[in-house]
Amino acid sequence: MKKISLIIVGFGVIGAGFARILHEKKDYLRDLGLEYKVVAVCEKEGSIISDEGIDLGDVLRLADGKKLAQHSGWTKKKSMQVLDEVKADIVLELTPGDVKRGEPGYGHIKKALSGGMHVVTSNKSPIALHYGELKRLAEENNLKLRYEAAVGGAIPLLNLRDKCLKINEIKSVYGILNGTTNYVLSKMVEEGISLENALDEARELGIAESDPSYDIDGLDTALKVVILANNLLGRDVSFEDIRVQGIRDITSEAVQLAIKHGYVIKLIGDVGRGEVSPRLIPVEHPLNVSGSLNAVLLDSDVAGELTLIGYGAGARQTASSIFSDLTEVTQFV
Amino acid sequence: MEMGLKDVPGSLLRSLEPISKHGGNIISVLHHRSEADDVKVKLVFQIKDLKSLQLIEKSLKQGAIKISDIIVEGRRYYEKKTISFILIGHVIDSDIRDTIDRINNIGCVSDVDVVMPDPSAKSSVLMKADIDNGDIDNVVDLIKDICEEKKLAFICCLLK
Repeated sequence: MKKISLIIVGFGVIGAGFARILHEKKDYLRDLGLEYKVVAVCEKEGSIISDEGIDLGDVLRLADGKKLAQHSGWTKKKSMQVLDEVKADIVLELTPGDVKRGEPGYGHIKKALSGGMHVVTSNKSPIALHYGELKRLAEENNLKLRYEAAVGGAIPLLNLRDKCLKINEIKSVYGILNGTTNYVLSKMVEEGISLENALDEARELGIAESDPSYDIDGLDTALKVVILANNLLGRDVSFEDIRVQGIRDITSEAVQLAIKHGYVIKLIGDVGRGEVSPRLIPVEHPLNVSGSLNAVLLDSDVAGELTLIGYGAGARQTASSIFSDLTEVTQFV
Repeated sequence: MEMGLKDVPGSLLRSLEPISKHGGNIISVLHHRSEADDVKVKLVFQIKDLKSLQLIEKSLKQGAIKISDIIVEGRRYYEKKTISFILIGHVIDSDIRDTIDRINNIGCVSDVDVVMPDPSAKSSVLMKADIDNGDIDNVVDLIKDICEEKKLAFICCLLK
């Protein structure tokens, strides 16, 4: 049995979602010869620490009632201090990132790598904004830094390329990389409503944030374009290089006009062109997926065109990609 | 690239100069003399990007050399493609005639469909334009410039 110790930084939707699957699949992982022990869980106000391993069932019950501080192992130590003091094999950096500086994830990842711990993250901002530096730091320390969950939620893109498309040169990658905008644009098509009304509906369902600017102005898609350009196309691209046009100007008349001529409007991240913009997609095109689905079209020299469709967000879906990285990194522990 | 050259001394050399000047690597030159005035010449060369090809094309045209065809990676450079796009904003009031004329300088606007819910509200206009394969990026850049100038939103079709 291989024993691997973990630190989970960030216990919101994604962090708790990951812990829930880890708890749920404990026996399945044991059958695979893997025993994961969580030695610290870090949240904004403090952390739970236990060298013997934390019972995730207890933590999840407390987290559901927003009562993490009632845990017997609770301390007011902040994540950076925990990463200094507690040693583990792998750090799971699962906090939400800020689009300007990539914090707090940027600091967490640097601290973990400098402390000799591998990192798996779902946090796109630090990877998009500080890719070169973090990649170098991981390589210099002979550690792994994996971030499949940062792009496309459950859709395997980076690991698919590493594992299954090794012989291929990726010629182009483009698609729908943001579920919120796709939900809004799909509703405008299906119900003939305005962008504002579609956004209200998305907010009510929890698909859009109360301030949805980050999604509808295309910034979230742009961060993912940067990650895919650097990883899949081997470019040296930064966030400022991406031309970004969101969907704020799309009117219901434009949506209906597009339908009349056999098109739908989708917000497309075009990785090769370094561009995020609304585009006309033929109705019968494989990228015409509705609701909050993501869809990515990948064109390579040997495999040809591949279309991948799946949920780009959600706790369980994102956990699927986090585990894909986690089991991969486990081989190097 | 296929071209028609005048059957006079030095014309072949003059047709090759712009290619090497703009970084082209000439692989083969075939010429076919017929009873017609022009000598048909077929050149095969490598270039690093489409921009170089555009510079070569411009230089040859300035030198009054007639280009009859260009094939890039098996596709006809002058083959027409139709692109569709939507403009949103005050498309009519910002002089739609001028917008179309400027696009027509490179391609040809072949269809215009306007939805104007209210004279004061933003209109949505779907246009189709027939463009030479090699000019698609230029037209898209031109429309982006026009949209920036006239404060319009531009939704283009997928471009391969």
